[in-house]
Amino acid sequence: MQAEEFLLVQDLVRTFAGRHRVESADLEPSARAAAQKALGELGLAELRGSSPPAATVQECALLAEEHGSQPLTTSLLGTVLLAPELLRLLGDGAAPEVGTTPTIALARDLRFPGPPGDGLVAWDCEGADRALCVAPDGTVTSAELGPAVPAADLLRGIRSVPPGSPAATVGRLGPEQLTHWQAYALVLLSSELVGAARSFVRQSVEYARERRQYGRSIGSFQAVQHLLADATVLVEAGTSATRYAAWCLDNQPPARALTAARVAKAEVNASALDAVSIGMQVFGGIAQTWEHVAHLYLRKVLLGTTTLATTADLLTTLAEPETAR
Amino acid sequence: MNDTPLDFGDPADLDDLRRRFRAWLAEHPLPERGADEPLPTFLHRWHRQLHSGGWVGLDVPQVYGGQGLSTLHQVAISDELGAGAAPGIPRIGYLAHALMEFASEEQRQRWLPRMLAGEDVWCQGFSEPGAGSDLAGMSTTATREGDHYIVNGQKLWTSYAQYSGLCLLLARTDRSAPAHTSISAFALPLDRAGVTVRPLRAANGDDEFCELFLDDVRIEESERIGAEGNGWPLAMTTVSYERNALDTGHISKYGLLVERLRRAARDRRDELPDGLRSEIGRCFVDYEVLVAHAARRTAERLAGRTAGPESSYDKLLMTRTEQRLYETALRVFPEELFGDGGNGAEGGELFGEYLYSRAASVYGGTSQIQRNIIAKQVLGLPSAR
Repeated sequence: MQAEEFLLVQDLVRTFAGRHRVESADLEPSARAAAQKALGELGLAELRGSSPPAATVQECALLAEEHGSQPLTTSLLGTVLLAPELLRLLGDGAAPEVGTTPTIALARDLRFPGPPGDGLVAWDCEGADRALCVAPDGTVTSAELGPAVPAADLLRGIRSVPPGSPAATVGRLGPEQLTHWQAYALVLLSSELVGAARSFVRQSVEYARERRQYGRSIGSFQAVQHLLADATVLVEAGTSATRYAAWCLDNQPPARALTAARVAKAEVNASALDAVSIGMQVFGGIAQTWEHVAHLYLRKVLLGTTTLATTADLLTTLAEPETAR
Repeated sequence: MNDTPLDFGDPADLDDLRRRFRAWLAEHPLPERGADEPLPTFLHRWHRQLHSGGWVGLDVPQVYGGQGLSTLHQVAISDELGAGAAPGIPRIGYLAHALMEFASEEQRQRWLPRMLAGEDVWCQGFSEPGAGSDLAGMSTTATREGDHYIVNGQKLWTSYAQYSGLCLLLARTDRSAPAHTSISAFALPLDRAGVTVRPLRAANGDDEFCELFLDDVRIEESERIGAEGNGWPLAMTTVSYERNALDTGHISKYGLLVERLRRAARDRRDELPDGLRSEIGRCFVDYEVLVAHAARRTAERLAGRTAGPESSYDKLLMTRTEQRLYETALRVFPEELFGDGGNGAEGGELFGEYLYSRAASVYGGTSQIQRNIIAKQVLGLPSAR
């Protein structure tokens, strides 16, 4: 994308996020649907859906950061950035059923799907009516969606995939495509989480400037300043890691990109959660209430850290040298 | 905050530079260190050898003895040295930046080519016994007497002063002005009358850190760097470059140790407990994040941004990486806790490096000072009354 064009798209997503951010945890189903419809009207599915893609992974990652910066119920990752990428990788023969909007399917614990037969859920599925499942061998199937699955993250829609539902094979990813796919999914999720952490820390910095105790703003106390400085160090670490990993997907072999993506997810799993926790500490009592947005961020980041790959999964893999080196 | 796409890649000519450097290195390998040769003397010979090949100061303009290339070119050479387990280029980048920014044209031409060539070895006389974190509270004075100054005071933590010819010295030239406008910077020749250098033995047995005693030392006006009272901004520029992840060349050294740990995780898979294997994975994550962070900083610098308060992030991330790495390494290689490191300080070589890693959160501004800088200068939080 040209630089000016990207800034326009980024601004579109920012405006959208500001307009459709939820203000409390009492979510209206009609508002969810309206927000998803408005997202659809931005026409972003073309960014990775066309071949060659209209946007780089780095550009999509920056848009995911924007989307993550506000409490939104919309599925940007599942339906706009992830499923279209999958279909693009599969090529012409894999057009989904006409008139459907796919998202992606994950294992029931939200990690990457295991062997066929293991239970699945449809993840990030606001506005979706199908879910694409990538098996460990690269086979991609399309499944129907069942009822909603309640989960800790109130924003992100998760639905069951009925065990008996006939799964139609859509196509198969080659080994390099599978590696690319996993790296891409890890990077975009990490980007959304780092966007959430950055935004929430920024809000807590602003609050620290305004909130007064002992006759002065709490942000003037060194104990609070160091907490916030640490939170921004964590955000910077996550930001550098995810943007670099996104660049690797655009410019490096898939195996290198997957290592960078695993690193980014491992970093963000720890740093985004810690940064949000620090922000909540600075907000104090108010952030412990149902009305405050803090728990929306916390829920999203907490569930996000277990999604696709847990810290334990990643650190165990990264502890040893890549075999192909 | 820059949140548009960045180019993390190498410029096109960098591969060629790396190839040429490898070819040169094959013909000019690391010399043998003499049996009784002190490390700084050995490293100084290595510096001269690298300079003779044109590999020092790649990012310094040609008129000052450099090559007029970018920071990325110099970083690539550091990478190559690190990857070959050779000692890095001596840490002069941040001093060179300070001179380029603050010294007069005549001074730049006088000092920079000799600094790059290793003809002058510089040290840094900033901290004092009574002025560590509170650097602006320094009490060394430079009193003007006509066309020269008379300097009195004491400096501390002046690394390798005993092997240096010149000291980038901070002293107070005006006792009535506020601290940040009353400090001036000088290039002090250490062989001058009234200068006494005394090495301190560090916890790891090395004698890197020195004390510097200054008794009625004469400094010429032409040895003052920049305007009188302009020493504070110079000092801040110097330390922010010193904190920058790129200029220190540590990263490739971490990379070698991380790979050693990962090979141990693979070769001793059944022996190392899961918790320790996870910790090795975490060290690799820290290292890779630091690489990514440095690449991001480089891209930002090439886009026209210089080191500023953001370098406090670099320093904190580097400290995190280094300290966790050496702690983990000692748990993976506990035999390093025994034996003799060769300098009379018990423990292996890795243990010596572990001890040195403890200093990472102190030198160049403590981690607490870095957090103060971030809170005030980046986040704009208010000062305590």
